Parts: sequence; C-alpha cells; structure tokens
Amino acid sequence: MSEPRLVARDVHVKIGDTPILHGASMSVHAGELLAVVGPNGAGKSTFSRAVSGLQPMEQGDVCWGGIPLGELKGRKIARLRAFVPQRAPVPAGVTVREAVELGRSPHIKAFARPTRHDREAVEHALERTGTLEFAERRLTTLSGGELQRVQIAVGLAQEAPVLIADEPTSHLDLGATAIVARLLRRLADDGLSVILVVHDLALAAAIADTVVVMADGRTAATGKPDEVLTRERLSEVWRVDASLDERGALHVNWLGR
Amino acid sequence: MIRLVAAILLALLVYAAPAQAAPRVAALTPFSASTITRLGVRPVVVGQTLGGTDQYLASLRNVPVIPLSHPLGPNMEQLATYNASIVLSSKTWQRGTPAMRRLGMKVYESDPSSIAAVGHETRAIGKILGRTRAANALATKIENDVRAAQQGIKRRPRVLVILGVGRTPYAMLANSWGGDVVAKAGGQLLTQGLRAPSGIARISDEIVVQRNPDIIIAVPHGNPGAINRLAQYYRSNPNWRNTRAVKNNRVYVATGNQLLQPYPGVAATIRSVRAKFLKNY
Amino acid sequence: MTVRRSSVVLTATVALVAAAAASMALGAVHVPLANIWEALTGQAEEGPLRQIIVELRLPRTISALVVGAALGVAGALLQGSLANPLASPDVIGVTGGAGFGAMLTLLAFPSAIALLPVGALVFGITAAAIVFAIGWSGAHAGSIGRVILAGIAITALFGAATTSLMVAFSDRVQSAVFWLAGGLSSDGWSSLSVVWPYFLVGFLMAVFLARPLDRLALGDDVAASLGGRPRLVRLAAAAAAALLASSAAAIAGLLGFLGLVIPHLVRLAGGTASHRFVLPASALCGAALLVAADTLARVVLAPIELPVGPLMVVIGVPLFLWLLREAV
Repeated sequence: MSEPRLVARDVHVKIGDTPILHGASMSVHAGELLAVVGPNGAGKSTFSRAVSGLQPMEQGDVCWGGIPLGELKGRKIARLRAFVPQRAPVPAGVTVREAVELGRSPHIKAFARPTRHDREAVEHALERTGTLEFAERRLTTLSGGELQRVQIAVGLAQEAPVLIADEPTSHLDLGATAIVARLLRRLADDGLSVILVVHDLALAAAIADTVVVMADGRTAATGKPDEVLTRERLSEVWRVDASLDERGALHVNWLGR
Repeated sequence: MIRLVAAILLALLVYAAPAQAAPRVAALTPFSASTITRLGVRPVVVGQTLGGTDQYLASLRNVPVIPLSHPLGPNMEQLATYNASIVLSSKTWQRGTPAMRRLGMKVYESDPSSIAAVGHETRAIGKILGRTRAANALATKIENDVRAAQQGIKRRPRVLVILGVGRTPYAMLANSWGGDVVAKAGGQLLTQGLRAPSGIARISDEIVVQRNPDIIIAVPHGNPGAINRLAQYYRSNPNWRNTRAVKNNRVYVATGNQLLQPYPGVAATIRSVRAKFLKNY
Repeated sequence: MTVRRSSVVLTATVALVAAAAASMALGAVHVPLANIWEALTGQAEEGPLRQIIVELRLPRTISALVVGAALGVAGALLQGSLANPLASPDVIGVTGGAGFGAMLTLLAFPSAIALLPVGALVFGITAAAIVFAIGWSGAHAGSIGRVILAGIAITALFGAATTSLMVAFSDRVQSAVFWLAGGLSSDGWSSLSVVWPYFLVGFLMAVFLARPLDRLALGDDVAASLGGRPRLVRLAAAAAAALLASSAAAIAGLLGFLGLVIPHLVRLAGGTASHRFVLPASALCGAALLVAADTLARVVLAPIELPVGPLMVVIGVPLFLWLLREAV
C-alpha cells in the first residue's frame, strides 16, 4: 500500500479542563473512505477537528504526508485537507457559486484575480456534487440536502487530497442522505481520501473501506466494517443488542426483549 | 490760501487717522458691544443667541446681526465675510475660538459674571482695541458709579433670586451675575450651602418655602414669546404661597436681561433693583 | 450580477461627486462658482471669499467625506466579522467610549477644548480595547457572543459615566448636545490633522481584510478549513473598525446610524455580501451620504447649522426602508 496521507497517533485533547480525547489514532490512504463512528460524546467530531488543525491538541502525533501538523500553517494545511463542518451558518446574499469560489482562497494570492484553473476547479466541484444546476441561487433558498452538497463542493474546490466531513448526513432525510453517501463513495473511488464522521452505522458499513470505532475518547477498534462492527462490539460500545447482516442492514433489538 | 489748504489737509488727516485705526470688531455679546460702543468703536457685527434673548443698545439697531448656535457660535463662513480682525466672544462659544483664530482673527472671551469683573474686562477690551486710556477712564467711571449706587442701604432683606428655565427653578448664587447685582444692591441671598461653578443651582420649591425669603425675584429665561407667560406663572406660583414674600406681596419678576447678562451700565441696574425690588433707600 | 455591482459603484461615485460639488458651492455665504474655482486652483486673491472656500468649506467637505467613508467601512467590517446584522460601532464600545471622552473634555475641562478630538479618539479606542481584552480571553475567546456581550457591558459603563458627567455639569450640557447628536463643524483642518494617521491605518487594514472576511461567511470552521484564522481576522476587523469609528467620532461626534445602515444598503443594492464589493461601496456610499447630509444641514436653515446626525437619519431611514421592501 502507498504512503498514508494522514497518520494520527495517540491524540489527546482537553476542552477547558475536561479531557475529551485520550488516545485516538487513525491513518488514511489515497482512495480510502474511512468512517469514524461511535456513541454520542465519544469524541468523534473532536478527533476529526484535532487532526484537521481546528482544535488544539494536548499531545499526540499528527502528520500530513509525513509533515507534522505543527509545521503546517494557513495555506499549507488548507492544500492538504478540506474540512466540511457539521452545521455551517447560511449567510444571506451569497450564491452557491460565490460560496464554492471561497474554496479556492488557499490557492489565490492576496489581491490576485482567480486564474482559469481556479474557475475550472470551481466548475468541476459544482459538477461533481450536482450543484451546478442551481449554482446561481442563493444559499438561503436551498434545502438541507442541497446545502450539504454545496458545503462538500466548497471542500472539493479546495483541491485537497483529503476531505473530512463531520456528520454530513445527520440532518438529512433518507433520499438526501443517499445522494451524499453515493457522492462520498464516488469521490473516494476517484482517488480522494475521505474521512467521514458519522453515527449511522448502517451507512458507515455500506460505504466505508475502513471503520474507526471511538469510545470514551479512545479509538476502540479499526478495520473493515464487517470485522469491526461485530455484535459484541455493538453491545460493548453502544450497549445495545444489535447486528449487521451480510447485506449491510442493521438489526436492533430496540426494546431489549 | 496755502494756509487754508494746509489747515484743511491737517484737519482731514486728524479726522482720518483714528477712522483708519478703528479695528473691525465682531461683538458677540451685549456686554462687549456696549463696552466698545462706549469706547467709540462701532461693532461691524453683533451676535444673537438662537431664540433672540440678547438685548442690545438701541443705538446698535442697524448693526448686522449673526445668529449664534452650537457648536461653534457664529457660522464661520458668515463671520468671515465681515472680515473682522477682533472677535469679542464668550466662554459659551469657546469651541469656536480656535476656528476663529485660524481665520486670522484675534479672539477674546469676555464674560464677566460679577460686578467686580466688569472693570477688569473693560480694561482688557480697551487694551485689545488699542484704546487703553479711554477704557481705563470708563472702567474707573463704572466702578465709581457702582460705589455710588450702593450708598445708603437702609435694609438688607433676605432674598432668593430664582432663575426660571421654563418652569424649572434655579437659584442664582452670589457667583452669578444676577446674584451679585442683588447682593451688591443690599439683598441677603438665602443660598447658603448651594454651590455651583456656573453660579446657578437647581433648587426645589420645598427649599424656597423652607428658607422663607422676604423677597423673591424671579428671572424667567426663555425665548421672548414665552417670557410673558413665564412671568405670569412665577408671579402667582402656588407652591410659594406659604412664604413671607408671597404673603407680603413681594414676589417680583424681572423680565429684562439686566439680571441675566452683564452690562457696563450695571450701576443703573443696582439702583433699579434697590428701588423696585428691595426698597432699601 | 457584476453589472448590478458596477452600477451601484457608479451611482455612488456620481452621487459623491455631486454631493462634494454641492458641498463646496453651497453654504451660509453665497460664493459665485467662478470664485470657488479660482480659490481652489490658487488663482484667487486674499480675501474673505477665498478664506471661506479654502479654509472653511474645503476642510469640511474633505472631513465629511473621510468620516462618512470611515463609518461605512467600520460598519461593514463589524457586520462582516461578527456575522451580526445589528453590529455597528456601538457594539464594540467605541461609541460609548468616544462619547465619554468628548464629554469629559467638553464638560469637565472646557478650557482644554482643543483636546476634544484626542479625548474622543483615546477613549473610543480604550473602550474597544477593553472589549477586545474581555472578548478574546477565557473560555470561548473570540466567539461572537462573548465579544458582543462584553461590548454591551462596556458601552453601558461608559454611557453611565457620560450621563453622570452631564448631570454633574448640567449647565454646560447645551454645548455638548450638538456633539452627541453628531455633526461636522467649520473649524478647518485642526481635527483631521490630528486623526488622519488613524484613518489611514484603519482603511489600510480594511483593504487587507476583505478576502479573509469573505472566508468567515461560511462560519469559523470553513474559514479554518481554508487556512484562515477566524478569531484573528475578527480581532483585526474589529480593531480596524474601532480605529475608524473613534477617529470619525473625534471629528464629527456620534453618527452611529451611518455605520449601521450603509453596509445593509450596499448589500441590498448590490445583491451580494462579498466584502470586496461591500467595503469599497460602503466607503463610497457613506461618504456620499454624509457629504450630502452635511451640505443640507448647512443650507436648510442657514446661517444656523442643524446637527447632521438626526438629519441623516431623516434622509437615510426612508431610503433604507424602501430598499428593505424591494429586497427579496
């Protein structure tokens, strides 16, 4: 296998005086879709933010393409990874195209105009996410699913080899979730590394190459979905009696009877 | 013949010299306008506060007037057109002083708030005008007149001088112009314990009743249209009915500006206060 | 889209030029156009008319222009960085601080009247600095809510101090009211010569902040994803706004309305929130509106001057409400 694009080892994070992460690790390769799953409060989002450089770490090694995160500032890190947040504000008076154009800012020098390549990258990001058809509409007029795809388009316009998406489907209906899931899988198939923070185990199992299970601020397991998301682990980490069948459906004994 | 021509020329010269020397003065207050008039200099322009409360000598009726309003006092563009070399302003308009100076005008803020200051201010204005001797003579005359006007005070009644800003009463203290005039005229101001750098202090009707003055002199302040109504109000202010002044029918209303603004003719004001209000001849 | 933006910029430029011309041509004293031209080109002879044009009207027009532009830009910077449509220099304490500084000079130390712009400037910046010190420390440092709450508290504090001064020196309040209402005065270059470096720094910072501010539009996380430093950008934008608004207050008193409304007006008219459009267009529109309002204030009741603040509100509010109705 090729060199991993991201290696994170033994990450510790405190927010205020509260320890959130104490020992989380992951690595991701080209074309890999890695799903970070875990119960609420396990530290999934914090972990994804910490490796992205959005959240200061107490300790831990995070390297992007072999370079420590601490040496990557501003534009440098922005060219290595794009972070798509869980819920971004929807500013008034901004069109889809203008929002996606913002994704090019790490590549445009101060006071310089966008080059043809910049415009092509924006066009390509709009196309890949299926947002080109409403590119001139304002963000305020979009549905939740459309907005989420625009957010991903912003990240794609960044042209970073790794895309980190924090719960992109948690507010979406079934149809919109499926569109985003297919989109992320396609991106990985095209060679992008995708880190997907998600709480929907069935979705993770269906599209991920690798699953990282987080529990109490630690990575509890890493591996292929069917190897990691076993009945025993679901019981241990989520405290439910549930299992994934061969077709990727999640069976839950909801009432514990 | 030659002698005649020479005499005429000499006469013209003598006549023309002082006319040429007369500075162009903008007098923004009645005090400075009266003072320079008495010193033989006619102002090129006088000031008038918004609302038109300033009262000028009748002889200055034809002098152009510029309105004074905040922030700077006169409109600088308008003032500039009169091409004045000296501006006699006051502390009220001191924000305008730097602007006037930048326009090349000599500015003096003259605002006597006591009778004692009138002489001093008169001399200062004379110095600026280059009429020191005349100003000294005028100041000495004013001081002598004031002294004469204070002769033979028989009674010293207990007085409150009330400045009525609308229906809000303020006490005029000894360090205000009106308070000083009444005190010099022989009134005992019942303003003990009240102090204000401006010379006027907010006073409640309760204090007026409690201090129980023999005489109340009300000085309504406002635009000319409102003065009569205010005078009526203060003449029969029901809140004061239990004071000795009301019972003895000794509430007076001073509607002129003589107690509000300094004038060089203050000796006459003292005599008039004694005769009309204090009745202490 | 770009046609719409260009037409907004063009309209604002034409309005500004027209307003500046009117501001030079009109006033308490009638000066023929020929004389104005001669005075400005240095051909006029010494005299009151030349003095009126060169030493009174020109500085006043320039001051109005700079102050209007500064307030427009300050409002745009704050609304952009705090992602709050209600943000104006009031929010970061500048108005409260500058008001206190000016009242301190006007009421407590009237003999030091020349220090009025310095007092407003120093206290405006001090108040903003306190707000920033509180807003950018502790947990949630630099978060919008924290900054705005700190601003409200500090504004209230300085507001109370100002009111106390006005009560303590109630006899002098009259001379201070004009300043609080906001307005320019014909006192030559004196104020501008003191505060121009602060204007310059503020405007320069604004130039460099346009792109970083645009990146804040999609939230702090996206900004950070794009390699920006959202908290630093917010601090820099707020500091630039504090400089501009304090300097504006030093010259023209409290004209908060301008900073609040102009950026909205520009966004509604231009149909975009991009700071590369909103910042320069706000500068143009702010300058045009203030120069026009100041000219009106001088002319309507000449030679008496009306305070510009209330007059501008009277002109600006209907325009603003109309745009608000037209906007989708």
